[in-house]
Amino acid sequence: MIDLRDPAERDATAGEYVLGTLPPDEHAAVAAALPGDAALRAAVYAWQDRLLALSARAPAAEPSPAVWPRIAARLDWQALPGRETAVRTPWWQGLRFWQGLSAMGVAASLVLALRLVAPVPPVPTEGARYVAVLESPDDKRAAGWVVEVQAGGALRLVPVGDTPPVPPGRSLQFWTKPQGAAGPTSLGLVKPGEVVQMPVARLPGVGAQQLFEITLEPEAGSPLGRPTGPILFVGRTVAL
Amino acid sequence: MPSTSPTFDHDAALLACARGERFALRALYEHEGRWLLGVALRIVRDRAVAEDVLHDAFLQIWAHAASFEPALGSGRGWVYTVVRHAALKAVRDPGRLQLVDTPELAALSDAQQAGEATDADRDLDTESLERCLQRLDEARRACVVHAFVDGYTHEQIAERLGTPLGTVKSWIRRSLASLKDCLA
Repeated sequence: MIDLRDPAERDATAGEYVLGTLPPDEHAAVAAALPGDAALRAAVYAWQDRLLALSARAPAAEPSPAVWPRIAARLDWQALPGRETAVRTPWWQGLRFWQGLSAMGVAASLVLALRLVAPVPPVPTEGARYVAVLESPDDKRAAGWVVEVQAGGALRLVPVGDTPPVPPGRSLQFWTKPQGAAGPTSLGLVKPGEVVQMPVARLPGVGAQQLFEITLEPEAGSPLGRPTGPILFVGRTVAL
Repeated sequence: MPSTSPTFDHDAALLACARGERFALRALYEHEGRWLLGVALRIVRDRAVAEDVLHDAFLQIWAHAASFEPALGSGRGWVYTVVRHAALKAVRDPGRLQLVDTPELAALSDAQQAGEATDADRDLDTESLERCLQRLDEARRACVVHAFVDGYTHEQIAERLGTPLGTVKSWIRRSLASLKDCLA
């Protein structure tokens, strides 16, 4: 293995780390050593700057307009940055699988969706009613779920359209974050095609512009108490 | 507008991200996004995958901005490393289908050189590094360029250049050492 205490070896390793040619185990070892090794960090930063100009050899490529909204949507769910646990990027290679969702027009609108799947008579309890259509952030036409919530009453999460099967070893987790809340609250795991109902007492609050989302998480749910996986469906409530 | 200024302050943007200021991440995206996507695309060779890489890399930038140390080097170098490493991880994922890397594909990707966006817009000093690269012999230079720009592994470079693996490894090591001397 590499000896990071030897200055020459450390510097050569830092160069190859930045370049990206270290074998996976050595790359991981360097990444793990970085936070506690100031000399190694200094060497890595120096190599970053030495080699940076090589990036000019790659032609520019304009990101499609959907990319930034996906990033911004994720930031809504992020606690303040700077904490090591804030993002554990899941390199979920099947992401595009979800983009293949049959496109279902949101034009098939809130009202229609609700009427189709939730022909519930008005709940007798008083309280403001809100609805949110949870769409794929990658494809706004792909609505996956509708959330209906009534203050003082119940929340219903109703699948609309086809939600593809969840990959083995993964789960769908349902979250909410009222306007102004510090972070999201888990509302538990959900299954494709299944209606979920719960008392609103389980929610941290109910209101307009409240975020609801479904993320892909490890089988037992996020170990961190906040979303760690890609957002599959996301939407905000509007008052009815 | 910081996003159109040729002297965009990457360090300040990262420090602002570390304070939780979203506009700074947005400004960084506006300023560098197309170049960073270009770098990722060249490595992963698939637009949808490259955009996923960019997305994930920006979340990493946001989450880890507080670990950026301006005293040690530039924020820009830091950001490119995050994106390049994210792209390398994506392309080397064992679950990923191997894309056929034909010379035509490489040529195509060279040909898509953005006409309207030039290095002049970027305020990126390529001169010193290029001068030092030119001092390496052609095969050694190709090793470094394939590794950095195309994201090739030692093995892929050896195959591409028809050179033994051990030779490629030592060429890269020595090329890096001579680049360092030359740039010092």
